[in-house]
Amino acid sequence: MPEETPFKIAVPDDALSLLQRKLADTRLPDEVEGAGWDYGTPLSDIKRLVDRWRGGYDWHAHERELNQHLPMFTRDIEVDGFGVLNMHYVHKKSKVAGAVPVLFVHGWPGSFIEVSKILPLLTAGGAGHPSFHVVAPSLPGFGWSEAAHKPGFRGTHYAELFNKLMLSLGYSEYVTQGGDWGHVITRILASQYGPKHVKASHTNMPICSTDIFGTFRNNPLRFAKYLLTPYTPREREGMARSRMFQKTGMGYFAQQSTRPQTLGYNLGDSPVGLLAWIYEKIGPGTDNYPWTDDEVLTWISIYWFSRAGPSASTRIYYELSKSEEVFRTPRTSVPVGISFFPKEVFHAPRELLRAELNVVFESEHDAGGHFAAYEKPEALVDDLRRMFGRGGPAAGVVPGHSGF
Amino acid sequence: MISDEEPFQISVPDDAIALLKRKLEDTRFPDEVEDPGWDYGAPLADIKRLTERWRNGYDWRAQERELNALPMFTRNIEVEGYGSLNVQYVHKRSTVEGAIPLLFVHGWPGSFIEVTKLLPLLTASSPDHPSFHVVAPSLPGYAWSEGVLKKGFQGKHYAELFNKLMVSLGYTEYVTQGGDRGRLLTLTTASIYGPKHVKASHTNAPVAEPLTFRRNPFRFIKYMVTPYSAQEVQAAADAERFLRVGAGYSLEHSTKPQTIGYSLEDSPVGLLAWIYEKLVAWTDAYPWTDDEVLTWISIYWFSRAGPTASVRIYYELAKSNESLRFPEISVPFGISIFPKEVVRSPRAFLSAKASIVFESEHEAGGHFAAWEQPEALASDLRAMFGKYGPAANVVSGCSGY
Repeated sequence: MPEETPFKIAVPDDALSLLQRKLADTRLPDEVEGAGWDYGTPLSDIKRLVDRWRGGYDWHAHERELNQHLPMFTRDIEVDGFGVLNMHYVHKKSKVAGAVPVLFVHGWPGSFIEVSKILPLLTAGGAGHPSFHVVAPSLPGFGWSEAAHKPGFRGTHYAELFNKLMLSLGYSEYVTQGGDWGHVITRILASQYGPKHVKASHTNMPICSTDIFGTFRNNPLRFAKYLLTPYTPREREGMARSRMFQKTGMGYFAQQSTRPQTLGYNLGDSPVGLLAWIYEKIGPGTDNYPWTDDEVLTWISIYWFSRAGPSASTRIYYELSKSEEVFRTPRTSVPVGISFFPKEVFHAPRELLRAELNVVFESEHDAGGHFAAYEKPEALVDDLRRMFGRGGPAAGVVPGHSGF
Repeated sequence: MISDEEPFQISVPDDAIALLKRKLEDTRFPDEVEDPGWDYGAPLADIKRLTERWRNGYDWRAQERELNALPMFTRNIEVEGYGSLNVQYVHKRSTVEGAIPLLFVHGWPGSFIEVTKLLPLLTASSPDHPSFHVVAPSLPGYAWSEGVLKKGFQGKHYAELFNKLMVSLGYTEYVTQGGDRGRLLTLTTASIYGPKHVKASHTNAPVAEPLTFRRNPFRFIKYMVTPYSAQEVQAAADAERFLRVGAGYSLEHSTKPQTIGYSLEDSPVGLLAWIYEKLVAWTDAYPWTDDEVLTWISIYWFSRAGPTASVRIYYELAKSNESLRFPEISVPFGISIFPKEVVRSPRAFLSAKASIVFESEHEAGGHFAAWEQPEALASDLRAMFGKYGPAANVVSGCSGY
């Protein structure tokens, strides 16, 4: 096992006192009568969360919990044209030596914390189900990973970074799991490093490339089937949800993908501004997940106290939109598994996905939203166990690492 | 006879200034990628310099005194369904009794301050050009006008507000000038209250919806076969670029004004960057001084309703589908086209919507025409409304001389 530098989060006291000073001086806006969520994050929620953040919320206790339950490390990884980036990651090996190595990639406004509930389940040994070795990095510019300092850090660079991370940990062959940006990055990873290194991919965020003609050329028969198959009620509901989100919920995307620096001054300087910006997505983005205030504040504090600051986390939108990689995710022959959760905001028709990708596993759920690993850990892990377990469609994809 | 006006002086409380100072001192700056220029947004070096100046050196009280030299007033105006709104406005009469009453309406991220340079030019008396009485209100939720906390405040409500303001000041007939949001709002006023009250309208924001075959079949066909002018080609490229990389703020304002509002309300540097990016992007190499920028932003920071109130107009006008519309007007219409104005629609779109009696194209100037090119804009208004101009004597008994 190559050397790893253990890492513990240790936010300095002066950072904590600065936060407290800022919270004490919070200047709140008024609100339109009966606004609800229509105009953005509601004032009553923000007031309550700010009050808690100021008095009652104990960052040190949550920091301790993260340090205790998540085995974290840092490692320098060189990326072509960008020099060395110091990466923060969670790494837990199963007791089962032949466990399946899985790279778990989060998105925005998530973080490495999203692996916390699935970690014990994935690494648990068992007669009936496979076990996994889990690597869950913080994206560059998120959590305690260093941010890229030069412009133009694209999908191919994320792929290089993460493939090198896995190789450096001794996993030359592995599988991936990702939602949100994790979906896009693991797709690019599979396209660039599969099937040599990336053996299979799983996602909980099913989106299609906008390159419809490419999909047709890739699999004309399947594409024809897509054209002829009526949408199921679930699909129609999902697409209606997507359309609503496109219509009313894409302001953050437009700003982050065009002028992230301008927004970054706000997010870096204002705790309440950062809170509102993120809570707008995690509040309604789940399937009635019973967020506690402290949970929300921990998710936001990870951004507030992050190594590179909150602004850096928005640049992924700029870079990957500029290169169109977020819209035209590349094709790959690597086997893909998809878990469909009803309250996910991004949806795609099943037949179109089957025409675009080598879909070997599908699972439809009755509950759950965008943050599947956090909202429905058992369901997601169950899907992965079935996909990679004995008799599963991706059983034994990683030679010597069947999971048993 | 002009009925009672409450004179108004800006007087920001000391503790508001102290809070701003405290926040500025605790500013936490973001990082920046190497050599980004303006690609990613407002550059860090600019923002750091401006923040430092705002914290130490910028004298709000001196700026406040200067603004208070403008003749400002407040008045309660009733808007149907919204009750009484207290509106702050600049009002300057010319010495010429028969001067033309003119309503000047600003937009975002501007304010009443935009009338400052025009004021002496428009109210000046001369045998060679017409004179104007000028009324320049702050939109509800901007500067020291009360904000609206009830949903659905749309174009027609602004129109009602403005018309009542002008009539209450004794101007039953008047003309309008507007840019940015002011374009839509003054044209809506002209649409509803013209030609009875609004006699003519002028804008420096030449925006109109595209022609469609269904609505104007002949014009559409003619438009399709007429080649674009060089300026129109440039304008189309500029508009495409704006929509592609410069309109994030607009989508956010139009969909989640409250969310971005928390940042703008709480973070001076956040508000500064959000607005400064546009002050530079939308002007034609205008040599902003730091203190000028900081005054424009301080008006938002210290505003009566707070910065969040100012972005809600985007949401409401998007909901009513009015944002890019050109309302139907029957009164004479004039346009001044400045090369760096953000969206410049093809001539054919504009002439389909209104009778363009006056048109002027300039070599320099951008979105904030009244601030960047006050002489040019004043000159245009004088030409449009002057003795031999296309809109001469539109206001009965007010030739301007």
